[in-house]
Amino acid sequence: MDKAKGYLIYFLVYKNIQLKYKHSILGLLWSFLHPLFYLLIFNFVFSQAFSQIHHYSLFVISGLIFWIYFSASTNQLSQTFIRNAHLLKSLNVKKLLYPLSEQLTELVNFLAGFILFLFLMYYLGLDINWNLLFIVPIIILFSVFCFSLGLILGSLNVFFRDVGILWNTLNAALFYLSPIAYSIDIIPLEYRFYFKLNPLFHFFYVIRNILYEGIAPSLHYTLYCVIITLVLFMLALFVYRKTKNGFISNL
Amino acid sequence: MNSPVIELKNVSVSYVHNTTGVYSLKDYFVSGMFLSPFKRKLVLKDINLKVYKGESLGILGRNGEGKSTLLRAIAGILSPDKGSVDVSIEISPLLALGAGLELELTGIENIKIYTALSGKYAKNSIQETIDTVASFSELSIEQLNMPVKMYSTGMLSRLAFSTVVSSQPELMMIDEVLAVGDKGFQEKCKQRIHQIKQAGATILFVSHNPDEVLEVCDRGICLEEGEIICNGTSADAVAAYNNLFV
Repeated sequence: MDKAKGYLIYFLVYKNIQLKYKHSILGLLWSFLHPLFYLLIFNFVFSQAFSQIHHYSLFVISGLIFWIYFSASTNQLSQTFIRNAHLLKSLNVKKLLYPLSEQLTELVNFLAGFILFLFLMYYLGLDINWNLLFIVPIIILFSVFCFSLGLILGSLNVFFRDVGILWNTLNAALFYLSPIAYSIDIIPLEYRFYFKLNPLFHFFYVIRNILYEGIAPSLHYTLYCVIITLVLFMLALFVYRKTKNGFISNL
Repeated sequence: MNSPVIELKNVSVSYVHNTTGVYSLKDYFVSGMFLSPFKRKLVLKDINLKVYKGESLGILGRNGEGKSTLLRAIAGILSPDKGSVDVSIEISPLLALGAGLELELTGIENIKIYTALSGKYAKNSIQETIDTVASFSELSIEQLNMPVKMYSTGMLSRLAFSTVVSSQPELMMIDEVLAVGDKGFQEKCKQRIHQIKQAGATILFVSHNPDEVLEVCDRGICLEEGEIICNGTSADAVAAYNNLFV
């Protein structure tokens, strides 16, 4: 990548962060506070119900921060082309740079919160060991996964504005279908297969391996994640290529 | 003369737009999904155009006859359905009113983003660019540090114009920007355009003001229903344009 493109991405990310936290006093700190409030609510509501889960707060938080990253980035990316319509119409810049910078913005946001949460997780009983380093490739893989899904949503949203709204609604359903506040163990065996159709299930499984159990991620599930991400990524590029020429006239 | 720097051969551009106002899936199903809600509308038909280095071409035509689309096709923002667009010089951003300005950000931040977007950002010369823009636009540093949403329309166009002309472009495309701004600034813009022209830039100038076209351009075309109905000197184009309203 040449230098000019590097600057461009830097400025787009800078712009996104500026826009997000304009007129907010706490700024980036919200990337920590937002999940923290969720955690408090969950603790309050569910910790009695799921008292059989050891270290319930730690269990929830490991899934929750990734869920928030997922939901924020897919929702942002679904709007990316619409929000940047004025730039798309007047500049000959590779269109893919807009969702890319949007994803990087969310990644910066996520990481800012994640680093603070590592301290909290340590306090809540996370075992600090070398296995923690496995989280780095998982974060990268998860980012590609979110980016791919977001790109599909963003491309389609240009033509049908309700894709974005629909996704917003589906988000809530997906949240409860993913084992974030509860463990898969409470699901009756005959239904587990359907739960495993949710790609997020596999990601959360691997993430919990690392951040909750403190062990190396299961190879089996990691492989699933890699395959899902690759397939989705190819699909996203396909959808984007098919639709990108129609963006200008539909924005 | 040498070979053209911009060459359009049989270029047709169509917009896929939806005639029935289908903007949601609900509408899509209600209006019958077997009928495609998307209709193609031909905006440019078989355009053949050559522009040589250092020329300034005025583009005239009624509203919605494809002037901006023509600029976008040349800038590579839109790809044509048919035909080929060859541009052999560096394209600077399309200069349209308020394009690319982020309202929540300050003037200075906008200048930085704009230079980055046009691929001309360099860390050591950015202050220079800001100074150039400040002095040309006559906006004070205090004003440049304000969010752009607090600007008046005139100030916005000053900022946008000044940013784009802060460096010498090879190809400058102007889409009706001179209309705003007070008389003093309009004069200043015209002078700057002349300067840029003298330095050897190629200029594409979209305007509704025949006088401006006569002043700025040596060649002119007039578009009507997506076709070039006149391609000659700027005086010819202005005559054809005036004829449209007789």
